[in-house]
Amino acid sequence: MSSLVHEIRNQLAVAVANVEAFRDGVLEPTPARLTAVLNALHQVDILLREIPRGEPQR
Amino acid sequence: MTQTASRTVLLVDDEPAVGDVLEQYLRNEAFSVVRAADGPGAIELFERHRPDLVLLDINLPGLPGTEVLRRMRSVRDVPIILLTGRVDEVDRVVGLELGADDYVGKPFSPREVVARVKSVLRRTERREQPASSNERHVGAIAIDSLAHEVRIDGKSVTLTPTQFKILDVLLSHVGQTLTRDQLLERVSADGDVFDRTLDRHIANLRARIEPDPGSPRYIITVFGVGYKMVEPS
Repeated sequence: MSSLVHEIRNQLAVAVANVEAFRDGVLEPTPARLTAVLNALHQVDILLREIPRGEPQR
Repeated sequence: MTQTASRTVLLVDDEPAVGDVLEQYLRNEAFSVVRAADGPGAIELFERHRPDLVLLDINLPGLPGTEVLRRMRSVRDVPIILLTGRVDEVDRVVGLELGADDYVGKPFSPREVVARVKSVLRRTERREQPASSNERHVGAIAIDSLAHEVRIDGKSVTLTPTQFKILDVLLSHVGQTLTRDQLLERVSADGDVFDRTLDRHIANLRARIEPDPGSPRYIITVFGVGYKMVEPS
């Protein structure tokens, strides 16, 4: 459970850092970077499905 | 290290999509950035580039981040900020065991990371250079590393630049044994001091500062390891 949460945070870190960089004009939102963000969000979705039902949510 | 010189940050993260972002934010703030993606690579770059600060993901392939931190600290007291996805575990790690200077939980704002980097550098540079006095003492020896002066019992002593550097480093670690490698690393930024000449520099330094260079009271040889500066008893 804790490693699942950890991996979700890692994927969110990819998305958050990149989108913030796009907003600040620090990095260009190239197709490759947008794809990386999208993939990270897909990973979050997949990981969330692995959280067992009935488990207390944190 | 002057205020205007470009500072080097060693960025250790195995996720390139995060590393790219942090690197660019840091470069925009005039930092030099070197990057490693695993523990052994981090240690290698740490030794090669002598960074002013390390941003370290504690969850690393190859070598645990905690071990990377411990090894870096055994070489040099460099400021280290941890990046971590496990904020729940990190308080203990940072506070008690490893003495990292700060940590940032994932996901993080890259702006926030840069702000922490600057803040930790400000804090640690103050720590290295106390505002009121730059003079440090051990026994009868006083050294002022900014004015580049050494006095013994108030009397000025002339040292060569290398002798001064060795004394400066030893005096920053009173009571602590420094290995020959650690001494060379800290003294020889320009590669001008070599292993085989270190002992001679130490002998010459003892001749200048020890009351009896034959039986040193300040710079003690730790056989098979290195040297130690002690308060004379």
